[in-house]
Order: sequence, then C-alpha cells, then structure tokens
Amino acid sequence: MGIQTEELAPGINKVILDGSLDIAGAAAIDLRMNVIGGASKGLLVDLQKVTFIGSMGLRALVAPARAILGRKGKMVIFGPNELVEQVLKTSGIDTMIPVYHDYDAALAALQ
Amino acid sequence: MTANDMDVAQDQIGYLGQLVLGSRLSDMERLPVWVESLAATHGIAENVKFAINLCLEEVVSNVIRHGYRGKAEQLVTVQCTSPRAGYLVFTVDDDAAPFNPLAGTALPTIGEQDEGQIGGQGIRLLRGFAATLEYEARPAGNRLHIGFLNPARA
Repeated sequence: MGIQTEELAPGINKVILDGSLDIAGAAAIDLRMNVIGGASKGLLVDLQKVTFIGSMGLRALVAPARAILGRKGKMVIFGPNELVEQVLKTSGIDTMIPVYHDYDAALAALQ
Repeated sequence: MTANDMDVAQDQIGYLGQLVLGSRLSDMERLPVWVESLAATHGIAENVKFAINLCLEEVVSNVIRHGYRGKAEQLVTVQCTSPRAGYLVFTVDDDAAPFNPLAGTALPTIGEQDEGQIGGQGIRLLRGFAATLEYEARPAGNRLHIGFLNPARA
C-alpha cells in the first residue's frame, strides 16, 4: 500500500493512496492518516489508484475525517473506481466525506 | 488457457477449492491470493472477485478477532463450490462460540454514527455485496454460506 502526501496550501493537504486498502493496507497507512488528519484543516484523499477497500480501509478514512470535521475542517475523496465507490456508498461514508470525480470541484470543496 | 478452456472452467459445477487459515490476522494475506487463483481458473468476473474479497475479508477477520479472540492455533476453513452454473458459494467454517452474524440489526451507516463509534459496517457490506447469505450452527462452531452470482461472459 503506497501513501504520498503533498501540501497544497497551509493546512490543506493531499494524500494519494495506491494499492489495496485491505486489512494489511489499512494497517500500513493508519498511523500516517491519523497524523495527517490531526494536522489538516482541509484534506483531499486521492483514491484513483486504490483497487480495493474493506471495512478496515474505511476506518482508516473515517478516523482522520472525524478529527478534521471536529475542528470544522473539510475532507473530500477524489476519484474512486466504481467498486470502491460502491463500498463507500454502502457504508454511508460518502455522507460524511463527499466523493468527487472532478479534481477542481474536489479542491474547491475544501475552500 | 484458451477461450474454450475458460468457458469449460467457468461452467464447472461442484467443489472448486478450499483454503485453511490459521487464527492470526496475518494469515489473511493468503485469502486474496487464493481468490485470484480461483478467479483465473474459473473465469470469475472482476466485480464478483471484488465482492468475494470484501465479504471474505469481513467474515474471516471477524472470526479471528471476535470469535477466536486472539486464541492461537485455531482454524478457519473457506470452501468454494458452484452448485450451478453462474453461482458460487463460499462456505466459512470456524470452531468459535456460536454466533450468527446475520441475526443482529445493522448499525447506523458511518455517516450516522456518533463520535467515537467507528465500524459495525460488516453486515451492511455483506448484505450489499453478497447475493445470498445463510448461517448454520454447527455442533462445535459456525458455518456461513456466502453466495455470489457470476454471470457467464458474453
């Protein structure tokens, strides 16, 4: 599971995840996602290269989202494939973390 | 494998394979490898493979974490059968205390949950991605049948 971070603006960060967000993948990014969540007021999570997500993968997204939303910040998900998006919608996570397929719209949502 | 071989494999009825896992979460790394091998041999569609991986990860991890509660040297057996063309059933057997995961009501979606409450999405995901679910209590354990439709390729 790969994870890359980029600061887009002060307090606004982007995370690019790459691989399978199964139990092992979620464990590999969990700590880093929590640290990023704790340091961001806006966070864009790019899931374009994520091939799979299970319930532990959902946890890895929800924990930082709760931290950011708790500070009145915003977190968005960008570019999940159709099957990953189906998991996000089935779990209801998309009501907490909006999902975008347009990058500019995702960025604008963080403002 | 030729296209004809794939057709034959996809229509194979009966027992397709079995995987026996230990009771450590790290043993679960073998699950997607096994599913991938079944998918290649029996022409399982990409979206069906995704659903199988999702449901098996959920069920087996629950058995290991909650059923066996860290007890070492326990086993989880996953068997794949095809009772009829285009239909796959994965049967998960464990020796844990009786627990019917289908009996409970689904928790609120993640978006509806209170602060501090994360998770409990397993049954919601199972119902959303499996075609059929059936629980069976065994004399010393549990058996869960998880069915998936795998329509023939055009």
